[in-house]
Amino acid sequence: MAAGLAAKIYSFLPENNRFERIWLLAMTDFKVRYNASMLGMFWAFVYPLVRILIYYVVFSFFFSKEIPNYGFYIFSGIILWMYFQESTKKGLNVIKSKRYLLENISFNKLDVYYASILTSQIGFFVNLFVLIVLLTLFGLTPSWRIIYYPLFILNLMILSLGVSLILSTVKVYLKDITQLWDLVLLLMFWINPIFFAKQKIFNMFPALLYANPLAGIIINSRDVLMYGKEPDWFLVGYNFVYAFALLGVGLLLFNKFYYKAIEKV
Amino acid sequence: MDEDVVIKFENVSKTFKIRDKVNGSLPHKLWSFVSGQNVRKIEALKNVSLEIKKGEFVGIVGANGSGKSTMIHLMTGGYKPDPGGKSSIKGSFIRLSLGLGFNGQLTAKENVYLNGSVMGLKISEINEKFDDIIEFAELKKFVNTKIKYFSRGMRARLAFAVAVHAEADIILMDEFFGGVGDERFKKRSEEIFAKAIVSGRTIVHVSHNLSTIKEYADRVILLHEGDCRGIGTTDEILDLYKRTIKVDRLSIEED
Repeated sequence: MAAGLAAKIYSFLPENNRFERIWLLAMTDFKVRYNASMLGMFWAFVYPLVRILIYYVVFSFFFSKEIPNYGFYIFSGIILWMYFQESTKKGLNVIKSKRYLLENISFNKLDVYYASILTSQIGFFVNLFVLIVLLTLFGLTPSWRIIYYPLFILNLMILSLGVSLILSTVKVYLKDITQLWDLVLLLMFWINPIFFAKQKIFNMFPALLYANPLAGIIINSRDVLMYGKEPDWFLVGYNFVYAFALLGVGLLLFNKFYYKAIEKV
Repeated sequence: MDEDVVIKFENVSKTFKIRDKVNGSLPHKLWSFVSGQNVRKIEALKNVSLEIKKGEFVGIVGANGSGKSTMIHLMTGGYKPDPGGKSSIKGSFIRLSLGLGFNGQLTAKENVYLNGSVMGLKISEINEKFDDIIEFAELKKFVNTKIKYFSRGMRARLAFAVAVHAEADIILMDEFFGGVGDERFKKRSEEIFAKAIVSGRTIVHVSHNLSTIKEYADRVILLHEGDCRGIGTTDEILDLYKRTIKVDRLSIEED
């Protein structure tokens, strides 16, 4: 098993072009996405900002007394959410959208999944950049603890990859998974601590915090970024284990059912 | 697997289940959905075993619907054989077919880099080969044009150019050359065939174009209604092919 892992890492080294390939796949995807419109990449900035603004205006009626800097509170949660949403939806569809490559050329099928995660990552970093700039402008410059932030990005990547693989496999047998997942995402959007303060809901229903693999990431990343607090290390560990578990399941399922997936499209 | 063997089929069969659309009233539709009445089995390929060695040029001929494309898909791993069968392929491969293989929204240049990279070439290597590829495909004026504007012939030439320069171990051609290039292009393609064989590349060529098969194939596989009717030298098989068609035609006439 160690040999297998070593071989995997080896395949990512620059002599083999694997990383280049994944990067190219991700970049071209990103380009295509914004090709269709005139303003192109401008929308990558505008859409999240407008969304946050609307939520802020609507919700500050209810929560601004309890949560200071409510706008940033939402912003820091929503960028993670949008990454998760986008990468899982993309992952669900990636076999269909990359069929012209998968069908005709021999390469490691997982690469298209890595690439779809990476594409969403690009959008995420754009949003993160805007967030950090705004925080600084408003006098909320992140503390040194921001060095912990990459941990959460990594956690989210692993989680998204695992979920994408699982969903793709389910899609083979359940065509409606796309619509179903939309519903699940809708539900998750409101259960996650993007808008409300964690104390209330999670003290009442701690299960919600632990069943949801995303909640802890949002809370901890926000603590680190906005409040300069130490993250809850137990929660960090828990979320990582959760993400890895999902990834493991995803990889197993994918290896078994890939043939059916590409055939049935 | 024997050192030299690059593609191997062991008792490979492929059956498809298709569900036809039901015309009729709603109760009728519901009933056939539940009872599975309108599900058909198509036996695309029946129990084929073969071995293709490195460097061979193998032709696959047969009437339409005989299972040629299915065979290619089974080789690439696009389809999995029915239980009991095993298909294996060794080495990097590219399948050329009438389908796109390209993303229409991207330019020729972007597609060349993308396909080349997916095929295992490093970006530096693609940089070196890029001009050769474009020149071979005779598309110098269209490097930065989106593929969606290309004619079918242009796309085919580009696909072939990339395949050849990317140095895949195995090239699978799925009825690829139907009327694609002018005489000059056809000639250059044939030069490529000759070179490829010399350099040890394996080529599997599904075609109705019997003259290419006659000229280059080491061996030919004849398929008929999913059965492998024979694998042998070009002359043997082409003879058998013609006889098979004649028999069919006779039986139609007798009706």
